[in-house]
This record gives sequence, C-alpha cells and structure tokens, in this order.
Amino acid sequence: MTRKSPEKIFIKGNEAIARGAIAAGCKCFFGYPITPQNDIPEYMSQALVEAGGEFVQAESEVASANMLLGAGACGIRAMTSSSSPGISLMQEAISYMAGSEIPAVIVNMNRGGPGLGDIGPSQGDYFQSTRGGGHGDYRTLVLAPASCQEAYDLIIKAFDLAFKYRNPVLILGDAILGNMKEAVSPWKPAPVDPAEAADWRLEGAKGRGPRLHKSLYLHEGELAGQNKRLQEKYLAMQAETDFELYRTEDADLVVCAYGSIARIAKSAVRKLRKEGLKVGLFRPVNLYPFPSGPLAELAGQGKRFLTIEHNLGQMVEDVRLSVRGLADSEQFSVYPGNLPLPDDFEEPIKKALAGK
Amino acid sequence: MLRDIDLSGFEKITAKDLPTECMVSSGHRACQGCGEVLAMGMVTKAAGPNTIVANATGCMEIISSPFPETAWKIPWIHVAFENAAAVASGVEAAVKALMRRGALKDRPHIIAFGGDGSTADIGFGALSGAFERGHKFLYVCLDNEAYMNTGIQRSSSTPYGASTTTSPAGKKSIGQHTQKKNLPLIAAAHGIPYVATASPAFYLDLMNKVRKALSVDGPSYIHIYAPCPTGWGMPGSKSIEIAKLAVQTNVFPLYEVVGGRFALTKKVAKPQPVTDYLKAQRRFRHLSDKEAAFIQQTVDGNLDYLQRLVAATNPEPAKAKKPKAKAAPAKKAAKKK
Repeated sequence: MTRKSPEKIFIKGNEAIARGAIAAGCKCFFGYPITPQNDIPEYMSQALVEAGGEFVQAESEVASANMLLGAGACGIRAMTSSSSPGISLMQEAISYMAGSEIPAVIVNMNRGGPGLGDIGPSQGDYFQSTRGGGHGDYRTLVLAPASCQEAYDLIIKAFDLAFKYRNPVLILGDAILGNMKEAVSPWKPAPVDPAEAADWRLEGAKGRGPRLHKSLYLHEGELAGQNKRLQEKYLAMQAETDFELYRTEDADLVVCAYGSIARIAKSAVRKLRKEGLKVGLFRPVNLYPFPSGPLAELAGQGKRFLTIEHNLGQMVEDVRLSVRGLADSEQFSVYPGNLPLPDDFEEPIKKALAGK
Repeated sequence: MLRDIDLSGFEKITAKDLPTECMVSSGHRACQGCGEVLAMGMVTKAAGPNTIVANATGCMEIISSPFPETAWKIPWIHVAFENAAAVASGVEAAVKALMRRGALKDRPHIIAFGGDGSTADIGFGALSGAFERGHKFLYVCLDNEAYMNTGIQRSSSTPYGASTTTSPAGKKSIGQHTQKKNLPLIAAAHGIPYVATASPAFYLDLMNKVRKALSVDGPSYIHIYAPCPTGWGMPGSKSIEIAKLAVQTNVFPLYEVVGGRFALTKKVAKPQPVTDYLKAQRRFRHLSDKEAAFIQQTVDGNLDYLQRLVAATNPEPAKAKKPKAKAAPAKKAAKKK
C-alpha cells in the first residue's frame, strides 16, 4: 500500500469502496438496494459507467451474486455490495464461486440482526464471513477495514487477492464505516494485467478445447481431489495475515477488536494509557486467515486478552484458539442495536486488566 | 381461458355506507402526503377487522412498526423482502388446517402487502408460485415506482424516463431507460379469478375492488398506484392530484380482469396530455419535448392494447347476439368490413 497521492478527498466509507474498486480496475458492478450501503451502487451507477464499466441493478441479491459469478467466470474484475440480509441471500452463489474457483469481490456493510434487525452497525456477521457462510467446505478471504482510507486500500487489495487465489474475497465493514466521512488519498494502483485470467476465463473455444467451470464432481474420487486442492489453496492463503498493533510492547492486557469497534477501543486504550494503565490493542485487518501467529506470540510474552465485539461473542473464539495453551481471553459484547462510546469500554478493560 | 367467477359474496360499498374504521392508525411515520399509506388504509377499511396481513419489508413496514410501537389494529406479520406471497401462502394453509379442525370458525381475510420492488423484482417468484398454487388470498402491490425506503433506487416498475439514484438522468442518460414491467397483466396471465388496478384518488373504486377480490375463491391481485412525494419530487399536498392525473392522462388506466375478462372501470372521456403529468414531478423534469412525445406515444399504445384486450375478452354478449344472428347475420358481417 504505497504510492499515496498527495490529493485528499473527504468522502464516506461507502464512496471510498466504490472509488477504490474503480481504481482497482473493477469493470462490472451488480447490486440491489439495501441500507446502509446504497451509496456504493448509487455512485457506481454513474462513475463506473463513465469509467467504461457496466452497472447492473439486479432484481434480487440472489441474482446480483449470480451475475457476479457469471462475470467472474469471464475473468473480469467484478464486484457486488450489500448488507447482512442481502449477503445471506448471496450465500449459495458464494459457495458455488468457491467451489468452481471464480474470483469475486463482495462487500458487506454489516447491519444489526438477526432477521431484518436494524440499519445500524453490527459485527454479527463475523461467523458467516469467516466460516464460509454457505454450504460445503470452503473459505473466503475476509478483509475488515477500520477507516475510510483503509476501505479504499483494502478493496484494491481484495481484487488482487481474488485473482491471485481465484476465490471470493469479502470486505466486511459496517454501518459506521460505510456512512462516516474521512479524508482519503485516492491513489492509483498499477494497471490490471490484461492476461491475468487468460488461461481460464470463458471466452469461446475457437481453435481449442472448451473450458469448464463447475462445482459438481460425481465421479469416484473426483470431489475428494477437488476438496484436497481447495484445502491446499486455503493453507497457502494463511500467508495473507494483516494486523495492527497499538502499544502492545509493554502491555499487560491486549484488547482484541476489529473494524469500527477497534477504532473506538483504540480511543479507550489511548485514554487509559494516559492514566498509566498498561493496555494495548491488537486489530486483525484480515479476519480470514486470522492472524493467529502474532497473537500467540503476544500470549507467549505472558499478556492477557480481552476481546471486544459488536455481537454476542464471535471473534473471541478465534482469539481463544490462537492463544490456546498459553492464555485465554475475556469477552465484552456490545449488543447490536446499541452504539458504543470509548467510555463504555473503560470499565471492562480495567476489570480484565485487574484479572477480575 | 374465460370463466365465470362467483361474486355473490361481494358486498358493494357506496358513498353512504363507507367503512370508517381504518386498521392502520394515525401516528405512523410515513412522509407527509404519502399516497401509499393512504391506499393501504383504504384497503384495510374495505377488508375490515377479520383480516391477517403479511407485510413485506419496505416503507409500509418501516413506518407502521417502529419497535415498540405499531400502527396495526389487525394481526400483522412482517416478513423479508422477497416472500410476502409465500408467507401468506403459509398463513392460508394454516387457516385451512385450523378451520378443518374447528379451531377457527370465522375465516379471516388474508392480505399480503408488498411494494413494487418487493413484488416486481425480488418477490416475483414467490408471487407467481402462490398464484399458481391457488391460495385464497389477496396480494396488494403498492406501487410507488422505485425503492423509496432505501433511497429512491430504480425498480423494474419505475417508468421510462424517471430519474432515480441508480438510474440518474444526465447528459448521456435519460434516467430509467426501460419500460415499466406490466405486473397486473402478468398476474392476469396466471388465470387467477380477480385482478385489478386501483388508485387512492378513486377510493370507492379501490375499496370495491378490494371487496370483490376478497369475495372470490382463490388468489386475487390488486395493483395500486401509490404517489410518493419524496421520491417523485412533488409537494405532499399534490399526491391525490397526481394520482388523479395519472388516470386522466391514461398513464395508469383503471381496469379489472374477472375470470379473464378485461373491463375498464374508469373511462377517460377527454384524456389530458401526459406532459401535464410529467411536468408536475421532479423525476421527469429533465425530459425534452421529444422524449415526452415518445412517452405520450407509449401511453396511447398501452391504452390501445388494453382496449383490444377488453374487446377480445368481451365478445358481443352471447345472449344478444343469438337472436340478431337469426335476423341478418350476413348483412352485419358485411357492414363491419
């Protein structure tokens, strides 16, 4: 993530996603209205078309996700965006994309659930995002930006990763990230290699054999072979860890949080540091693969952990798995439907630090 | 296929005995001048208290049920965006089972409400399935011609030329560039007993259509024109005026289809030009005279098509024709040519 442009623009996280996608060479956008991500399709309906791309509003999220599958099979950089209930409807297509190894970028501006929930922020979709989400044995790469600049940066990275691994990549934001405005440097990545999908994309079979994209394997041993191949791919993905450390060197307690909640937790940590408390913050940027190694390293140094999430306790399972045998993690929930302030985190952090 | 529909259970409403009890109470959170909630209230007035409502996600669900409040005086179930017709099918099956068991004596009306996005787009499959299976329920589409609840995005029910946030008008864009999906005709193609279009500007017509729809044995569909001041760019005070204009310009003709027979229920003697309708709304403001002329042509063509359907499904009344046919059949045929 270099080559930041000197120019800065003041935009919403949703718009940062849209602008970043166009900069990354996204040529097709498929969407369907749902709050709190509508700024993305609205921006794309004009800007992507001006950039020579195609904007299609589907009749449902089921359709938009399958349009994405169709475009991805043609080797083009394509994306969709939605919010929790819409992402649920997309799960079948995401499973098929993972099964037939089609690259795609899917943005989820997480809102409160279950059911229709509300239109406010939530991290309730952590499990759905990091465990595959649909049926079958598969994983998607999951990137969780915590600022508008990071949203811009990570959507560019998401397209690269999607094509590197021929796998769906999820951007997991929330209603806070999508709707807050911050200064963003809209840098331009290197142009897309026109041959990046040359050896597998669907483009007609003149002069050669047909290419098949499928996820159905009925012959004996065929599906097992495909699953083994997929597992090898997911193992290779483990190299893609990304995380942020804040004042963890001498910390006794490390707060683990991601996305918008990590921003709020960071404010609490900063304030408590001023009071002389030895606390720090660990923020995974990639939620899958989860940065387990660096966390285990911190656990090895004898630090304790507190996981703060905007759900009933989901990422805490990954934190506990990461530090198992060395430490454990306390857990603090902000219920979806509530909006936390940094002050709300002070007491749980103090308690966890005192080992109570 | 044309068939006779038993409408003996139809209890007509006149201006004198207008039902006054609205099952959607005031104090809901709809925008000022919302034509949609007005129409929905009229539907519930005609249906009465013995009614179960399945309401798809959308404006009407949001404005009538902010927790812990509710505007509903009748049993109401909120469902996802794509499945009001499916949930209503489930309710209907349960009502059948309860009636059979004797646990329910007085069969309630079952009404599903959906907006145009919910009906024409994401819930289209569920709607078609419910019609095909023949559940006895009324599906009401409250059509405000875009996804208003999420911020005015186009739907397949958005009219040609309308500017929305995902079909923005500009130098190279006319706005919505496709023609409005004809849902009432698609509903009628299922061969269900009763289909109608209605408008809150013609409340007696609307309420009687609801009464008729609820009296038939099987699925019924009413497509209601629902002006949206917020999304269309007009003062809230103009909702009913615009709704009237839509009928008087033939942009939204009022008709019903009973057992496959089409009938215009509001004949416009002297239609106004569509420009009267277009100029009153911000969403059409960018249209040039040439584009308005094209829309006029489309409106005329659609009306012509509808009139042909009326003529084709209402052959000369069989009773009147027979005696005449004895008198001078050859002469009449020759005259027609």
